[in-house]
Amino acid sequence: MQGTLELLILKTLERESLHGYGIVQRIHETVEDLLKVEDGSLYPALYRMQERGWIKSEWGVSENNRRARFYTLTRAGQKQLERERANWERVSKAISRILQTA
Amino acid sequence: MNNLLTRLPTELEVEEKLRLHIDLLQRENIKRGMSPEEARSASLKRFGNVDRVKNECVEICRRSRPLQRAFKVCLILLTLIGLIVRIVGTDRHVAHIGVTLIAIAVAGRLLLYVRSLTPSRFIQSNKPTSLSLQ
Repeated sequence: MQGTLELLILKTLERESLHGYGIVQRIHETVEDLLKVEDGSLYPALYRMQERGWIKSEWGVSENNRRARFYTLTRAGQKQLERERANWERVSKAISRILQTA
Repeated sequence: MNNLLTRLPTELEVEEKLRLHIDLLQRENIKRGMSPEEARSASLKRFGNVDRVKNECVEICRRSRPLQRAFKVCLILLTLIGLIVRIVGTDRHVAHIGVTLIAIAVAGRLLLYVRSLTPSRFIQSNKPTSLSLQ
């Protein structure tokens, strides 16, 4: 669904700064097999989100001692997360109602 | 030459990120008992189409930095003008101007490259890596 990956990334980065692989791992750990997230799809989303100012990145060192970009939520990203969360709740409530009545 | 002047840092950075991701996936798969070849193959499968992802990221990067892009175009033009002046200019002073223009363009390109490395490249992050691959 459009915007879902962005919401997952924003929520994941709300707690801590992570590099790309770390973000995907956190998402996989949380959703387990309920959602299939293709790892590669994360990177264009990260670039788009950085372009929009929702996240920022800085170089750090990964667990295998290689440099990696660590992503952090910006204030604009925090606001976007609230908007996306509210939107998601509205949409899921609407779909639930339709499913219950149909 | 255009490739070297305008594309290298962005593409290199994107490639570096994707390579790290695939390598970390491979490492995780090896820890789960796969052979290195199996682990690599499984990592690439889980990652998806590397070339498509890379191209998409590079395109977004280019789009999001119009000023930098304009600066790069100016540097290319400066190099070309410098070369033309250097070749056409019969007078020694004019030839020197051509060389100076080329030198400025090269310096500008170097500046862009150094900026793309970012100051923190050689600084270890204070943040602990919150991932542990057990």
